[in-house]
Amino acid sequence: MRPVQLFCWHFMAYPYLPPDFDEKYESGWVTVPNKLWDRERTDGLYQEYIDQLVYAEELGFDGLVLNEHHQNIYGLMPSPNLIAAALTQRTKRARLVVLGSLLPLYLNPLRIAEEYAMVDSMSGGRLIAGFAMGGGPEAFNYNIPQPQARDRYWEAIDLIHRCWTEDGPFRHDGPHYPLRYVNVWPRPRQLPHPPIWIPGALSLETMENVAKRGYDYFLSSRTHGAATRLAAQRFAGIIKQHGGTYHPFRMGILLSVYVSETDEQARAEAKEGVWYFLKNTLKGHLRKEGRPLTFGPGVPSTTVRSFEHFLKSGGSFGGKQLGDVESWEELDAGGSIIAGSPKTVRERLWSLVEQAGVGNLLMQFHFGNMRADLARKSMRLFATEVAPALRRDSAALFARDYPELSDIPVAGAAQ
Amino acid sequence: MDTRTITVAGRTVEIAETGRGAPLLYLHGFADLHAASVEWLPFHEMLARSFRVIAPAHPCCAGSEEDEEIETIDDLAFRYMETIDALGFDKVDIVGACVGGWIAAELAVRHPERIRRIALIGASGLFVPDAPIGDLFWETQAQNGTVYAGLRRLLFADENVSEGLAMFPDSRTDIARELSRYKTMRFASRIGFSPPYFYNRKLRDRLYRFTGPALLLWGERDRMVPPAHARAYEAGFPKARLHLIRQAGHSPQVETPAETATAIAAFFKPAPTPKAAAKAPSRRKAAARPAAKAKAAPARKAPPAKAKAKARPAVRKLARRGRR
Repeated sequence: MRPVQLFCWHFMAYPYLPPDFDEKYESGWVTVPNKLWDRERTDGLYQEYIDQLVYAEELGFDGLVLNEHHQNIYGLMPSPNLIAAALTQRTKRARLVVLGSLLPLYLNPLRIAEEYAMVDSMSGGRLIAGFAMGGGPEAFNYNIPQPQARDRYWEAIDLIHRCWTEDGPFRHDGPHYPLRYVNVWPRPRQLPHPPIWIPGALSLETMENVAKRGYDYFLSSRTHGAATRLAAQRFAGIIKQHGGTYHPFRMGILLSVYVSETDEQARAEAKEGVWYFLKNTLKGHLRKEGRPLTFGPGVPSTTVRSFEHFLKSGGSFGGKQLGDVESWEELDAGGSIIAGSPKTVRERLWSLVEQAGVGNLLMQFHFGNMRADLARKSMRLFATEVAPALRRDSAALFARDYPELSDIPVAGAAQ
Repeated sequence: MDTRTITVAGRTVEIAETGRGAPLLYLHGFADLHAASVEWLPFHEMLARSFRVIAPAHPCCAGSEEDEEIETIDDLAFRYMETIDALGFDKVDIVGACVGGWIAAELAVRHPERIRRIALIGASGLFVPDAPIGDLFWETQAQNGTVYAGLRRLLFADENVSEGLAMFPDSRTDIARELSRYKTMRFASRIGFSPPYFYNRKLRDRLYRFTGPALLLWGERDRMVPPAHARAYEAGFPKARLHLIRQAGHSPQVETPAETATAIAAFFKPAPTPKAAAKAPSRRKAAARPAAKAKAAPARKAPPAKAKAKARPAVRKLARRGRR
């Protein structure tokens, strides 16, 4: 039976902010002045980040994850496909997950159909194609009216799907991207098409759209616990309604992990990077201080009905988000950043896998301005002292709970 | 507030109505009823002494249904003509504040035969170089999660004015208020987020098409739609009158209700009789007259720029616009 699939996610944060950044700037996104970019010190920065991902493959991770953000310090990949292309030449086995290209930001989704097909071809069929809508900061950056973005997004996905599965040339008559000649060269390597992953933050609408199309769901939430299990159950229920079968590899979650010899050492080593990540890179995104841009009435992407549901189910503004935490204890309670000894990390991850029945673990190892040697050490300890037990136990668990799984081809699993 | 609903293009539109007299269609803005207030403002009640004020809520605002078909101001203009049809008006006088003013201007240049007179209060809608419209969406993403000082600075001359604090308090615990704001912004995003940002670049060169009287009522301290926009509207409409209010910001209907209501009442009074309305020349005369009768002195004083604009032949104005 297939064990949990372990992915290494690199956000490629900007690590050279001045120490007084938090006092002086209201956001790490959109308006964070690009004069803070240090030309000298950033020489070799992308190289180092790519090397860390290559190292993850060497350590046996099943896949490497990239994503797209713009005009910010949280993630320096306005074009994740450039990094994916570089990785096709440096790696041999690992899945390359782009999670995802922000479709409404492109003039024409054909561009992404083409680039993804290139990456899939260049990598010998290792691409996992993620499609995302983009959040508030991207709305401001690329001038995307949010009420219309969702429609554009799903039309773009359906068009890309057709590009990969139908013979061209064909006509596409959608309202947003009408095209007379759709005929994408190259075609992707994988059949019927690269696995498609769709991020969502618990909204029923997204789950329904994903289930209807037979795609896989990635829960983008940055807190974990009971809600994670609930999300998996909800998604499983929706898949069933659409005549499909849930199994753990239909869903993925995002975690941040730091492993060291002991719990104390893990906290001591991770401290600088974790707090840089929380207070600087999340400012403007998942932090109350400053100018939170990700969600709210200024970027009204969810329907009025969903927003009303959010308000009435106790979704409060000014409530604590990940970037608002002030202590390790609070971080532990949030469940998404786990720093500790191999034993601690193993137990925490296992309880999540066991409770939620989720098979794709997407993990961030590098935080903010974390030193490269520390990030690598953490990845190595994870690979040697956490991963083996997780794989063994999860294979047994999934064999027990999903006996039919052995007959189902698992999209997204490493070859 | 008395409201009813009508159906326009298959969707529910909420209509508030008050007062007696000649009908005035009121198209609301952000610091306004249907958006930040569930009640009429004192300004509307003052107008209601002499007019029948009819205020539809924009699609997705208050009790009006969201309309997914609306993607541009053009789509919205069609909806509003259908609304005017549904209300049974052959010709209509319109007052529009902020985005409502933009809609009024778009209607006027498209259907000058259906729109008799317009009064625009801090209207968005134009692109004016070096005088950008403030970013309402950015400021609606409250500072530190709950502080709306920036939003109030855009909407009012004084960010601590009590009416402003009442409409946009520094808290986000009132679910009804949150929902109403979300709906308003969802509407605003459809037509005003991008591109353009609360403007239609082509509108300015189309203003000449509306030959009826236009009143431009603006707060001198408007930071959302700077007074340069008032002057641009004034230069563009053949028959425009500018009325600046020194102490007001973007929302004179909230900040200086008496002066605003008086100026608007003077502009629309007396309402032309149905007979007079049929003949264009007498309509113009009727519109020119009220200033003399008005109680409000400021409305009467036409600034020098306006006099020039009036004297300038339409052809020359067109040529000037062409150079922009």
